[in-house]
Amino acid sequence: MRQARADEYAEFAAVRAGHLYRSACLLTAGDTHLAEDLVQETFGRLYVSWRRVSRVENPAGYAQTVLMRTFLTHQRRRSSTERATDVLPDMPADGRDMPLRLTLLEALARLPAKDRAVVVLRYWEDRSIEETAQAMNASSAAVRTRCVRALGRLRELLGEDLGEYARP
Amino acid sequence: MPFEQHGNPLEPFEERLSADLRQAGDTFDADRVALVTAGELRGRRRLLLRRRAAVVGGVASLALVGVGGALLLPGRGSSAHQDGASVGTSRHTATATPAPSPVSGDQMIRTLEKLLPKGNFSKVEARGSDERPGPYVQLVYDDGKGAAAISVGLGRVEPGSDEARGTTECPGKVFVHYDACSTTRLPDGSAVMVLQGYEYPDRRVDTKWWSAELVTPEGQHVSVSEWNAAAEKGAPISRAEPPLSAAQLRKLAGAGAWRDAIDAMPQDTNRPAPQPSASETAGSVAIAPILKSLLPKGVFKVSDDSGDDSAFGYLVLDDGKGKSLVQVNVQANMSDVEGDLFGSGAEVLADGTKVATHQVPSEKGGAGAVMWTVDTIRTDGRRVVISELNSGAPHDDATREAPALTMKQLREIALSPKWWR
Repeated sequence: MRQARADEYAEFAAVRAGHLYRSACLLTAGDTHLAEDLVQETFGRLYVSWRRVSRVENPAGYAQTVLMRTFLTHQRRRSSTERATDVLPDMPADGRDMPLRLTLLEALARLPAKDRAVVVLRYWEDRSIEETAQAMNASSAAVRTRCVRALGRLRELLGEDLGEYARP
Repeated sequence: MPFEQHGNPLEPFEERLSADLRQAGDTFDADRVALVTAGELRGRRRLLLRRRAAVVGGVASLALVGVGGALLLPGRGSSAHQDGASVGTSRHTATATPAPSPVSGDQMIRTLEKLLPKGNFSKVEARGSDERPGPYVQLVYDDGKGAAAISVGLGRVEPGSDEARGTTECPGKVFVHYDACSTTRLPDGSAVMVLQGYEYPDRRVDTKWWSAELVTPEGQHVSVSEWNAAAEKGAPISRAEPPLSAAQLRKLAGAGAWRDAIDAMPQDTNRPAPQPSASETAGSVAIAPILKSLLPKGVFKVSDDSGDDSAFGYLVLDDGKGKSLVQVNVQANMSDVEGDLFGSGAEVLADGTKVATHQVPSEKGGAGAVMWTVDTIRTDGRRVVISELNSGAPHDDATREAPALTMKQLREIALSPKWWR
């Protein structure tokens, strides 16, 4: 990699690392070790194709998509059938927002991986159904169905009054 | 009033979910420097494994990466100590056999200093066996004939895997300039490759980079590098050649102390495999054989060197009038960059497939080198891009005026249904 490009990559990675990691933590429902692995793998992939990535309109969005696909690939490798994660969320290090985080992460952990991916893309990344479908390489209809299903399950797990229930 | 997301009003539950996700997400934080460094290391390792340029990526450098992070970040100093700070220790630790006591960074330094012939050492740094992304040591060594950077990185590969084989196989000369390379089998079954090459593939600076890659039958991987300069990049050449001969490099890589340090590394069994995922590649088609089968019959002599990866392949053709390097990438799920790759000028076929063509001077090429490209993408995001040079390797001067295959032939090859069978 040429120096200017390497510097550009390094700057991008430094700026995006925090957000990617937080996304990965939600995707993995709080498995911070796996989240670190996914982010490292994402950066590895971005590094290899940085020349191309740097030219796309929205490299940050592209990076999120790579993270999402890395996560889904990881899940595919883990198991041929879709299932909810069996890893319980890690305890927060500093105790901040513990009840909310734990409640939410426990609920996320009970969703199948793809449903979790839809929730994270839609409600953490603020992506539209169409954008979510593109990132997940699925049809809009499939994403819509998943989204409805995931929301229904989360409602069931968290109660309709999510905010009230979850906040300390 | 619920806020709107892309024009669709959110239900109160969705709205709260979004706010709470944000609140929960924001409580996570990691050592970002370590994440970025480890990510870059994976990228470099990936490039090393490929040992070739991708048409799209355009990276022809045999990027240096010592295993386990003998990683010098150019232009940012050698901050490996802080960058190597633990990114969190894996919980996935094998419990069957307890790992030997950790080997510290200081022990790594002492080991290397002891194994090198007498000389002066400076700019020493290291990471121990329990630090991520893995143990390594680097220093500047001066035997009295000029300062030279030397590094040793340690890691593991899956025994018997493509990665294990690829690590100790000499790369094709099409993409990597080197003066000598050989692989030796040691009595204990280990394979060790010694490559005497250059830091910069285009040789804009003649910094020599010599390395030994050793993989044991158990998958222990030792990577030793040396330069004829005090740093990998950005330091003037200090001597004609790096200080250790090929035989000395081989011996240094084979030292038992390195294997002890590898054995002391925590087992990590839950890492995603480093290979490109199915979502990034077309699957498991071998590219070079398909390319070969699609060439116009009987006209060309074709190289043996062809790449062995499922997303990328290449051949060097010779029709008697000079060499042409032909490279192909086959990728799935490329819709997200379609707009970037296929501008408004792209041709659209009846089935919706887009075709873009380029005939430009070769980016990395020598005198007179041109690159002809036909890029295609189907409506479902499957992409085949084929490029051709009028030289036998990316950095070489042109050997002929035009590449061997015509644009029409390239187009026919790119659009063949064979890539997707």
